[in-house]
Amino acid sequence: MTDSSPRRADGYAPIRDYAAIGDGRTVALIARDGSIDWLCLPNLDSPSVFGALLDARRGGRFVLAPAGPSRVERRYVPGTNVLETTFRTSDGAARVTDALTLPGAGLPPLRELVRRVEGISGDVRMAWRFEPRFGYGRVAPRIARRQRALIATSGGEALAVSSWDAGDPRIEGAAAGAEFTVSEGGSAMIVLATATQEPVVLPGRAAVERRLADTIEFWQGWTGKRRYEGAWSEAVLRSALVLKLLAYAPSGAIAAAATTSLPEHPGGQRNWDYRFSWVRDAAFTLAALLSLDSDEEATTFLWWLLQASQRTHPRLDVLYRLDGGTGTRERELELEGYGGARPVRIGNGAASQLQLGIYGELLEAALLHVSAHGRLDRDSGRRIAEIATLVCSLWRQPDLGIWEVRSDPRHFTHSKMLCWVALDRALRLAQNAIPGTRAPLWRHTADQIRDFVEHRCWSEEKRSYVRAQGSNEVDASLLLSGVVGFTDPGGRRALGTIAAIRRELAHGPLLHRYRGDDGLPGDEGAFLACSFWLVDALARAGRVDEAAELMDELVSLGNDVGLYSEEIDPSSGAFLGNMPQGLTHLALVNAAVSISRAAA
Amino acid sequence: MNLLAALAGGFVGTLVITTLLQLATELRLTRVDIPFLLGTAFTEERDEAKAVGYAIYALAGVAFSVVYWAVFSALGQASWWLGLLFGLLHGLFLGAVVMNILLPAVHPRMGSSSSAANDGSLIEPPGFMMLNYGAQTPAVSLVAHAAYGAIVGWFIAAAG
Repeated sequence: MTDSSPRRADGYAPIRDYAAIGDGRTVALIARDGSIDWLCLPNLDSPSVFGALLDARRGGRFVLAPAGPSRVERRYVPGTNVLETTFRTSDGAARVTDALTLPGAGLPPLRELVRRVEGISGDVRMAWRFEPRFGYGRVAPRIARRQRALIATSGGEALAVSSWDAGDPRIEGAAAGAEFTVSEGGSAMIVLATATQEPVVLPGRAAVERRLADTIEFWQGWTGKRRYEGAWSEAVLRSALVLKLLAYAPSGAIAAAATTSLPEHPGGQRNWDYRFSWVRDAAFTLAALLSLDSDEEATTFLWWLLQASQRTHPRLDVLYRLDGGTGTRERELELEGYGGARPVRIGNGAASQLQLGIYGELLEAALLHVSAHGRLDRDSGRRIAEIATLVCSLWRQPDLGIWEVRSDPRHFTHSKMLCWVALDRALRLAQNAIPGTRAPLWRHTADQIRDFVEHRCWSEEKRSYVRAQGSNEVDASLLLSGVVGFTDPGGRRALGTIAAIRRELAHGPLLHRYRGDDGLPGDEGAFLACSFWLVDALARAGRVDEAAELMDELVSLGNDVGLYSEEIDPSSGAFLGNMPQGLTHLALVNAAVSISRAAA
Repeated sequence: MNLLAALAGGFVGTLVITTLLQLATELRLTRVDIPFLLGTAFTEERDEAKAVGYAIYALAGVAFSVVYWAVFSALGQASWWLGLLFGLLHGLFLGAVVMNILLPAVHPRMGSSSSAANDGSLIEPPGFMMLNYGAQTPAVSLVAHAAYGAIVGWFIAAAG
């Protein structure tokens, strides 16, 4: 928790300023100045109704803050995804509790966003403004007063704002709001109820209070069941809560992030939609969830992945929609973009890329599941064996690699290593979980891949694995060579690769992914997950003190409520890329667990 | 006039009207959800409300065919176009009176002009011709009810 006045540049809050709340279906991002600048309805991957994050003028927002200047402290209610923001003004202090409530007592709206104001001291003049824009800022609806609520509709969507002791709202075209004073001991409440393809339910205050209390109780109960006793437990549990926030409850998929098109470079073009589930993250996800005793989420995610990939079997798409679908066509929106970073994209064209590493990720995830639960059903086992056999025919092809470059396909070293992982895990699974009739082929191909990597993807000059066959560059993904067991994590090749990557890609505790061409214009920040992979690699290499020191530095880089985006600008410390970023939090958990295990 | 034919027509007509209304909501033409409105009169549980609502809606759809049969019998003739006309009247009455006035008056969880601060969760009322659920709702409802009437009329006329 920090205490400072919020600031914006040209209408845009720093990405670091955002906290996230969610309900297992969607996520809202709230800036330090009390503005909800991002909310998609009814689901995380639906169009936004508040999208000021991507267009400060046309995107829409829902602001609740003191009417005058204030200083801000924030925290999550301990063990929850419910946010508490304390505003301190010259006249007193007020606390705002923000939550997307979970269905419970009473007839709940389809989705419900609660903003409760409590007076802590003095008399604080508060103001709120509801400015919805449907369809990614495309539709500015007329707002009508109906019964006790303000209702905005567009097509099959409706938003209703009910308020209690929060002033008499005035409607001004496509916006509405009010001012009110909250005194010490007093409270007010503003609730956004939403409906899709049904009449909107206007909640009663008592029911909302009950649901808010139940929501806090649920999150605390869920966090209480997570088992982690190592260092950095606060950061690890916050990461677990972020992952739960990104888990789409109707299917079990876990989104890569809650947003689209937050730029990887200020004003740049590297702006992508991350509201999909990446196969690449599968093994990291299973490992993190299982180590936190989140068996239920881990199993649900794996079953979702196996079901989604059935449509493309035996090939895998790079990513799938949260509902398991494969339609992820990429297109550009007519929005200004965060801080002018255009284009703003929805959909993701990387889905149909050839990315060989994902086969290893899936097989590793399956092995982790079997290690934890002892079995895999017969049909899944058969399909996994078929996928392993497919790898034997695919591995010689060049691909676009873990970073989904948009330049020509290459023989990326990480991709080949993960093909080896796929076959190694298949051979292990064949002992008790999948049919092993093709095991001789898998073994033979795994040996060929190892031979290829060791001879063609290793540079004696750099004493490191290199980015691709014949390349002279390094790549931070190669930190995983020891983590995935391709090479001895404490051996000469793993240590040489760690040294080369630090030499060529590090900027303090931060790492760039690579330096070479990727087919895209512009630069990008340091990739946070890679820094946590470095911690993981150091811990597995037995350099535990060094790993712990680096971990301390990285944990201190989170924002005031412990969240991370995808990247950081090494020179300014500004967050870059989508937020909050699942892969960063997965890598944080896995790094902390590795240190705990190495130190034990 | 064959009552069994009317009941069969009512069954098929209910399938069609339900499908048409759902199609219209999927196409984002309206937010009307009659099973949800009916079911929430009996329970606060969303899923249960939808299941109960669909059951009531199906029974009502078949029961209404008996009313159509009675009117056709009184007139001494039945045809698909006469049914279509009855369907339009049925849709108009439903939108202007039943959903606009009667349902909010009796539904325990629907907002009305007498709702007060001590009420719990309230469902947004449909309004005249269910316009609160979208500007195209009256057209959707009239088309769906006209289809229902035409089907019931055709079944009764075909059975002789």
